[in-house]
Amino acid sequence: MTALPEGIEPEVPVPGYPNTWTHTPAQPLLPRPAGRTEMAGPVRLHRKLVPGAVNLAEATPGRPAIGQLMQIGGRILDEAGRPVAGAVVELWQANAAGRYAHANDGSAAPLDPNFTGHGRALTDEDGRYAFTTIKPGAYAVPVQETWWRPPHLHFSVHGPSCLSRLVTQMYFPGEPLNALDRILNAIPDGAARSRMIARFLPPPSVGDFFLGFTHDIVLRGRHATPEA
Amino acid sequence: MFPTSQQTIGPFFPAEFFGPADHDLTRVSAEAAPTRRGEAILLRGRVTRQGGLPCVNAVLELWQADAAGRFAGDADADPDFLFWGRARTDGDGRYAFRTVLPGRFADQLGPRASHANVTLLGSGLMRRVLTTLFFPRAAEELAADPVLALVPSGRRPLLLADPAGEEDGLRVFRFDIRLRGTDETPFFAV
Ligand SMILES: [Fe+3]
Repeated sequence: MTALPEGIEPEVPVPGYPNTWTHTPAQPLLPRPAGRTEMAGPVRLHRKLVPGAVNLAEATPGRPAIGQLMQIGGRILDEAGRPVAGAVVELWQANAAGRYAHANDGSAAPLDPNFTGHGRALTDEDGRYAFTTIKPGAYAVPVQETWWRPPHLHFSVHGPSCLSRLVTQMYFPGEPLNALDRILNAIPDGAARSRMIARFLPPPSVGDFFLGFTHDIVLRGRHATPEA
Repeated sequence: MFPTSQQTIGPFFPAEFFGPADHDLTRVSAEAAPTRRGEAILLRGRVTRQGGLPCVNAVLELWQADAAGRFAGDADADPDFLFWGRARTDGDGRYAFRTVLPGRFADQLGPRASHANVTLLGSGLMRRVLTTLFFPRAAEELAADPVLALVPSGRRPLLLADPAGEEDGLRVFRFDIRLRGTDETPFFAV
């Protein structure tokens, strides 16, 4: 594996996020060359991580979730720009009020019974994924020096090898909170940060009922080929 | 193209993403029968952070060779083994996998001892952390492993899974992960 250029990966500790200190190894990481085990991965992981729930915004048929309905899609690519077919893409997010449907979220913001908050897709031959959802609300992080997370989506992507496993977040263009977010700004390189911001699609290309955004995600591991 | 930057998984990874057999590498799907090849084992442990406190709600992903030391995609790989599993820690930081004792193999790095690889994701972990655990087998096998050799010798025992009895007729191995602090687990860059 070639080393990544400086500044692409987040730096720790993140101010105001004490877990980034208590959970991060203090000893330097041990470099190791990639062998078979690093290039290996599961075949047809979607047998276990079953895709299909790509509409988060209609937990109850006929009753859309509260918020701005939105289509989000894009391509999963490798470092050579080739589409990654058969990747499992997991998405989770807050609802329009900035609340997660998760036991750990103790915020006072309301839950929305018609919003599931999570979905799983499988990329097609062109590496494409797509979800129907709502634009999430911002939420406050309940630590000592409270800060606000901008609207964001969480993505977990399983590429063909264990090298190409990625957990990331996606942000929205034009959000004033982006410049203040400590998690987004833990990435030193400005160009890398801007690659995490989705592109707005003009309404005529999306249809009458949805906002549209497109977002491509690039995985590591150019040597690996996807399994059929 | 540059790879997309990593970000923390955060505290809200959906519980719904964990299926009943996700922690079981011996089944390729929740409905599948377990593989009949190799010795099925249980792998358990506890994840702690600075101060020895439990790391709750962390996500562990395990991948390894099959019982014969083959990987997915090899012509003679075990078709009933998934090579990958996922588990999360409970309120005490404990996790559990069911898998098979991985076989040895040789690759461009050299002769590999019986081992399994772990990715750990959690709130506050801005990047995933990676480690490799070794099953207690012949000392020569461990001594020859080129990845274990990258670890300073004093820290190598921290990567050994310990035999911890039997349950339901299966051998149990224990592997604790200490993210930071005393006896910190050795982690690898890739
Ligand atoms: Fe979030």
